[in-house]
Amino acid sequence: MSDVTSPEQNKRILMAKTGLDGHWRGPTIVATALRDAGFEVIMIGMVKAEEVVQAAIDEDVDLIGLNIGGHIDVAVRAVQSIQQSCQGVPVFAGGVVPPHAKRKLEALGVEVYPPGSQLPEIVSAARRLTGLSGALPASD
Amino acid sequence: MHYPQVIETTRELFEEASRGDRRSLARLISAAERGEALPGMPLAFQDDETCLCIGITGAPGAGKSTLVSALTQELLKTEPCAAVLAIDPSSPVSRGALLGDRVRMQTHSMAQNVFIRSMATRHHHGGLALATQSARRLLQHCGWPLVIVETVGVGQVELDVVKTADVIVVVLNPGWGDEIQANKAGLMEVADVFVINKADRPGLESTRRDLEAVLLNRPADNRPIIVETVASKGLGIAELAGALAKVRRELSSNGTLATRRTEQLALELEQQVERQLQAALKTVRQSKMFEDSLQRVAHGQDSIAAAASKITVQVLSRPPEHGNR
Amino acid sequence: MQSQTDGKRWVTASGIALKDFYLPSDIPDSHRKVAETAPGEPPFHRGAYPSGYRTKPWRIFQLSGFGKPEDENERIKFLLEQGETGFLMEHDRNTADHLYNVDHPEVAARREDVGLTGAVMQSVRDIDICLKDLPIDNTYGHAGGAVVQHAPFALAGYWTVAQRRGYDLKRLPGTGQSDYFLTYLGCVTKQQVPTDAGLRLNADIIEFCNEHLPRWVPVSIAGYNGADSGLNAPQELGALFANAVEYLEEIKRRGRMPLAQAARACGGVSFRISMDVFEEASKLRAARLMWTQLLKEHYDIADPKVSNLRIHVVTAGSRMQYQQPLNNIVRGTLMGLAAVLGGVQSLGVSGYDEALSIPSEHAHQMSVRIQQILQQETNIAAVTDPLGGSYYVETLTAQLIERAWAFFDEIQQQGGFLACLDSGWLHQQAAENQHKEFLAQAEGLQQIVGVTDHTDDVSPFEVDGFMGVDDAYDVALKRLNTVRRERHESGARGAMQALEQACRNEDNIMPAMMAALNAEVTLGEIGDIYREAWGDWATPIQT
Repeated sequence: MSDVTSPEQNKRILMAKTGLDGHWRGPTIVATALRDAGFEVIMIGMVKAEEVVQAAIDEDVDLIGLNIGGHIDVAVRAVQSIQQSCQGVPVFAGGVVPPHAKRKLEALGVEVYPPGSQLPEIVSAARRLTGLSGALPASD
Repeated sequence: MHYPQVIETTRELFEEASRGDRRSLARLISAAERGEALPGMPLAFQDDETCLCIGITGAPGAGKSTLVSALTQELLKTEPCAAVLAIDPSSPVSRGALLGDRVRMQTHSMAQNVFIRSMATRHHHGGLALATQSARRLLQHCGWPLVIVETVGVGQVELDVVKTADVIVVVLNPGWGDEIQANKAGLMEVADVFVINKADRPGLESTRRDLEAVLLNRPADNRPIIVETVASKGLGIAELAGALAKVRRELSSNGTLATRRTEQLALELEQQVERQLQAALKTVRQSKMFEDSLQRVAHGQDSIAAAASKITVQVLSRPPEHGNR
Repeated sequence: MQSQTDGKRWVTASGIALKDFYLPSDIPDSHRKVAETAPGEPPFHRGAYPSGYRTKPWRIFQLSGFGKPEDENERIKFLLEQGETGFLMEHDRNTADHLYNVDHPEVAARREDVGLTGAVMQSVRDIDICLKDLPIDNTYGHAGGAVVQHAPFALAGYWTVAQRRGYDLKRLPGTGQSDYFLTYLGCVTKQQVPTDAGLRLNADIIEFCNEHLPRWVPVSIAGYNGADSGLNAPQELGALFANAVEYLEEIKRRGRMPLAQAARACGGVSFRISMDVFEEASKLRAARLMWTQLLKEHYDIADPKVSNLRIHVVTAGSRMQYQQPLNNIVRGTLMGLAAVLGGVQSLGVSGYDEALSIPSEHAHQMSVRIQQILQQETNIAAVTDPLGGSYYVETLTAQLIERAWAFFDEIQQQGGFLACLDSGWLHQQAAENQHKEFLAQAEGLQQIVGVTDHTDDVSPFEVDGFMGVDDAYDVALKRLNTVRRERHESGARGAMQALEQACRNEDNIMPAMMAALNAEVTLGEIGDIYREAWGDWATPIQT
């Protein structure tokens, strides 16, 4: 097998669910799309804010994706913990995020992809947020 | 991970990591995964029998992550800490990967005495074993003497990874007679311990029988221990830990551990050479000399074998790349 | 005009190729004779009753609940006033699905989430508050307990309240759900009992109801939750009946009640109805026919009172879009229409704000109004099975049956429904469909108005998520502590020990559960007993 892309480009994304709501459909589709775009996606399941932080540190990730399935305050706490302990690691979020919650997260610098967001949109956000530019390389 | 403060050099990262800073350790492992130079990488564990690396392998769905999680819990009763390297395959098409082992290790998600790292195979030729070996060495150098490597037991690349461990555990499930018969990827020869996980499922007896029959091929004094577990319920885990302790004692006392570590080193050396040769070949591939040889072959002026020999000489005469580990 | 295609041909949502039009000759021979039967007679695909909605209008049955038990009580009363004809209790999913009390660390860390998806009910006192002044003796109530491991608690709580009010359990109407699809396939909890322990709980409920609550529908298999996770129409059918077989086999193995009774108990099911109007309507017709076939061929049960499947439908929550949410009122109407055309006993229409939150009061009212308009203004209730005899619908019904049995067989070959949950095979099927659907959207093969297409929004007002109340956690914690303080402690301890005993031996768990609820044992304590006795399910998915 030839080295089409060098391993240096393997960006790592941590995916976590902040709520105790186990809908896995959306997060799985997004995780699969990110994998198919060349990302290494580390899934950690339903976890508390401090668990996201610990995993982000140990896994040395480039981006954190939060699936939000509940009250906005729970998500906000998670984002604040991350921003405090993993400075410089960007966060993006999806899930059930009504407009008022979306505004709150965006004010914290979190990009939000509510239901109905299309996968190419999410993938290109991940590329941009991890410092990869341009369009996706054509798959071989 | 990005750093606001400047920790520039590997040496600084080493210092921080040795003092127990997990970020620095994590960052060093990333560098090792990328195959970056890590000058001053110590070889401390080579003769150090307080260090141990346990390799756990088996087909997808065997319940390895759950087993590793439960085993870690059990080992922490006597060990001060444990590190886990959880390896999953990269997609051959996209080179991306889904790494989901941590989901089953949530018991340890906040434990300060457990360090879990997910790694993708990344399809580097033999490089995975190198990366694993480097990560293990980093961990052991930075105060994590016990390392558990979990990997999917299919294919040669993964078998090489397994061989970087001191003790090898193969995980099966009831009803996997065919798997055993097929003697997948030589795993039957290298295992020290077999775990039949999900032992509360039908087919346990026949799987055990099939396994015992296959193991008759191994010398009586070197026959692996078989342990039955239901990892999701914590059953049989103490027995597994006991079996591992027994294997460890034997390997130490009969000198096998030392032999294995020499073999590990030999493998690592071999793969490092392979890596350098490949790098050299890559460069030569771009050269005029390669293009000329190609043209000669294409026009029937040279045989492939003869051209290849000339190219090989060229590859071997290149000075090795510096800083490659 | 572009609708459902696979890039080459016109297809149904599940991928069945469609012709431009259908002729009598398209109906498979095997189905032609069946198609000529009348509604209300076996094999029932044309309807459960001959007079259909004329004599038995479908029950307007909306999922409802949030906040404190009194908030949920108020919402239920509102819905009954609006014309709902049965009621569903929804328990807070953080606590109920996991059997955690609110002071469990996993819940406490997410305290603001508590009460967002249902009312917090940790003891029989909370259930009593939730049911305050509700006519439970003569209204069809859904006690909650949608989740398998939660059902014994929810049911025993409801029944205990009924007993305390002096009602005879023998006459009590209602239902639970105890559905595997919900938390073992669709919405996997962090922690729950293994599938075999769940089967034991469900069989216990079926046996207990047979003996003590003859008017209660003990379990309700909810294909809905499989379908909204990604199973297509024939897969939803095949998996649902494979699930029913697990219950029937377990009851047969135990040999403590007549199998026909058990079949009757399992014959109240729920389906999801999505946007492919004719495929979904045909699915309900297929379901009734398949149940008749299954009971006849596998269990030699032909009693029409037993083989007459009763169907509850909920419109697809996942079809309710985040963008331009008022469009969802139209979607709810169309999905409701498809359900009614296919033949249902009860119906819930998802709120137009489903993609944003649990329903606001207004969204709830709209869901009820949609159903009332269908019932009262369209004359749709006048004739039973209005689609019967349509060349297209009869053909599609037969095609769905054929594919559904093939999927059923595939499940059986892999050890049955529970084995396919344990192995993750069903999750894989669901995920593949979902993935295909997303790709189809990205490629423009599937269009969603307001989302992939026609995205300009000129809505006069913003629909924002309904966030319920903000004191659910605090009040729940206070009440939990009050129960702990005030209850007869040695009585509660004794009941817990008896429950633990029942879990560890082969006895029916329900008498001990009733005693535990009566002794004010709390939700989390019951969870601890389960976890100790059975451990956790090894979930086959990794997110």
